[in-house]
Amino acid sequence: MERILDKGRLGAWVAALADWTVLAPAMQDGLWAYRPVAGGEASLTLGHPNTVQPPKGQSFPQREVFFTFDETPDGQPRLTPLVPRPGPRLVFGVRPCDGQGLTHLDQVFGEEAPDAYYQARRGTLAYVGLACNSPPSRHCFCTSVGGSPFGEAGLDVLMIDLSDRYLVRALTPVGETLMTAGQGVLTEAGADDRAEAQQRRLAALAHPQRAVAAPQAVPERLKAGFGSALWERLAQPCIGCGICTFLCPTCHCFDINDEVASQSPVCGSRVRTWDSCQFPDFTMHTSGHNPRADLGARLRQRVSHKFLYYFENHGVFQCTGCGRCIIACPVGIDIIAVVNQVAAEAAAMPPADS
Amino acid sequence: MEGNIYLPQLARVVAIHEEVPGERAIKTFRLEFIDGDGFTHKCGQCAMLSIFGRGESMISIASSPLVHDYKQFSIMRAGRVTSAFHELAVGAQVGIRGPFGNSFPVNDWHGKHLVFIGGGCGLAPIWPVIQTAVTKREDFGSITVFYGGRSPRDIMYRAELEKLRGTAEVYLSVDSPDDGWEEYCGFVPANLMEKEPSPEDAIAITCGPPAMIKFVIKNLHALGFQDEQIYTTVENKMKCGIGKCGRCNVGKDYVCTKGPVYSWADLKELPQEY
Repeated sequence: MERILDKGRLGAWVAALADWTVLAPAMQDGLWAYRPVAGGEASLTLGHPNTVQPPKGQSFPQREVFFTFDETPDGQPRLTPLVPRPGPRLVFGVRPCDGQGLTHLDQVFGEEAPDAYYQARRGTLAYVGLACNSPPSRHCFCTSVGGSPFGEAGLDVLMIDLSDRYLVRALTPVGETLMTAGQGVLTEAGADDRAEAQQRRLAALAHPQRAVAAPQAVPERLKAGFGSALWERLAQPCIGCGICTFLCPTCHCFDINDEVASQSPVCGSRVRTWDSCQFPDFTMHTSGHNPRADLGARLRQRVSHKFLYYFENHGVFQCTGCGRCIIACPVGIDIIAVVNQVAAEAAAMPPADS
Repeated sequence: MEGNIYLPQLARVVAIHEEVPGERAIKTFRLEFIDGDGFTHKCGQCAMLSIFGRGESMISIASSPLVHDYKQFSIMRAGRVTSAFHELAVGAQVGIRGPFGNSFPVNDWHGKHLVFIGGGCGLAPIWPVIQTAVTKREDFGSITVFYGGRSPRDIMYRAELEKLRGTAEVYLSVDSPDDGWEEYCGFVPANLMEKEPSPEDAIAITCGPPAMIKFVIKNLHALGFQDEQIYTTVENKMKCGIGKCGRCNVGKDYVCTKGPVYSWADLKELPQEY
C-alpha cells in the first residue's frame, strides 16, 4: 500500500491514530529526542536529522524493574514480577539505520530464550520510518555496512520526503492498519509520485558517504588483526565513558542489580540497567582478574563484536552506520577509522600459513 | 510467570557443610525447591543463585544430575553475594534460576578412562561428572582423580574423596603440607607428571585456577593427550545466563550458552579473554 501525505497534514494523520501513543522527534534542550505528541498538533514536523538516542529505549529502557522483593512475616522472600503491559505505541520518523538496529535487538532478545520484558514492550510498538534523501550527518556510513538510506528493515511504514509531501508505504500488516486509520488524510499515490520517490532513492544511494573499506573482507581481517598493537594505540584517548555504546542502536549489554529500599525487613527491586563493554569492571571477576583489563582490549571488543563476532553468528554486521558513536565520542574515537586501520594493517600482513 | 527467564524460583537451604575454613572459605549448600518441580540439569551446567537484596551469582551445580531431590553448590566466599551465602543458616530461602550452559559430553565417553584434574574450588564443576562416572561405574574405564589445594585444610570434599578410593585412584596434593600430610607435596601439574596417566582411550577433565590450568594443559600435552581429549570449563562474569547481557562474551561465544564446558580443541580457537 502506498499513499501520499501532504506535509501540512502530518498532525492530522497522528490525530487519526487515537488508539496509539505517538512519539516523534522533538527538539528539547537543543537535542532531538522522541517525545509524545498530542494528536492534531499542527506544529508536528519531521525536521530532525536524526535523534541523539536511537529508539531502542522504547523496547529496551535504560533502567527497568524485573521484580520487587520483600519479606513475609516469617522472614522468607516474596517476589512480585513486574512485566510491563504497555498499550500500543507508535514511533514516528525513525531513520532506516535505526530500523535496522531494531532487527538486531529483536534477534538478541528473541532468540533461544525470549526476554519477556523486551517482548512485552516490543509487541505493542510500531515504527514509522523516514527515508534519508541525503545523509543526516557527515558521519553516516550505512551503505558500507549493509544498510540503505531507503532501507525498510525493522519498520512498519516508510515515509519518503518529496519536498511538499510524503510518499507513505506500508511494510507490514501493522503498517497497513496505521495507513487505513489515516485514510481520510492519505490520498492515492500516482505514477509521478512513485517515479519521484524512485529518483530520490537513486540520488540517496549515490550520495557520497563515509565508508568502511572493503566490508566483505573486514571480519577476516579483524580476526587476523586481533593481536595488533593498533588497538591499544587507537584506544589510548578513551576515557571509558561508554557513550558510544549507550547511543548505539544495537548495543544491548546490561547489568542486573538489587536496589535495596530497606535492609530490615529486606525490601527492594531487581533492576536491569544498560551496561557497557567499555567500562573497566564490565568483565572483572570477583577475584580481581579481568579478561579485558586494558583500553585496547575493550575497544577491540566493541569493534569486533559488531564487525566480527556477530557476523560469525548471524552473517551481518551489528553496526548500522548511524555514526552516533563517532559524533558523541568526547575524545574523537572513530569506529570507521579503527576498522579501516586495523583491517588495512591485517591486509598488508603476509598470510600466517604461508 | 511462565517464560520469565529472569524470575528465580525459591529454594530452601536444607544443609550447609563447611568444606574449607579461613580466608578462602568454601561451604557446600544443599538446596531444595520450595514448590514446582525445579529443574533437571546436566554435568557441568550452572545456576544463578540469588540472595534478595544482595544480588545474583553464577555457580556451578556440584551435585550429580542423577540426584533429583536437591541441588548442591560449593561456594567460595569472595564477593557480595557469595559472602551473604556464607552468613546463611539452614532454613533460609534463596533464589535459583537455570540451568545454564552446555555440559560435559559424558555419554560420548563410555568405555573411556577418565582422568580428573582439579585445584582449589575447581573440584566443584567436575564433581557431577565424577559422581556420574562412579554411579555408572561399568560404563567407563578407569577413573583417576588428581586434586590439590594450598594446604591440607584447603582440601574440599575430603570425606567424599576418601570414599572414592577403591572405586577410583585418588591422588591428592598440597603446596604447603602440615606434619600429618602423607600424600604428594607440590603443585597439581607436577603430581600429574609424576603419576603419568596414559592418554590411550582417555579423557582428561580439568578445572581450577588459571595458572594451574595452563600447566596442566602443558603437561597433558607432554603426556601425549591430544587437544580433543582435554576438557575444561571457562568461568567469566555473568549476569543474564542466556546470551543477552554480553558480559561473558568471548569471541563469537557467550560462555553462558556455548560454554562453560570446552574441549581444548575448541577453546584454543577463542580469544584468551577469560
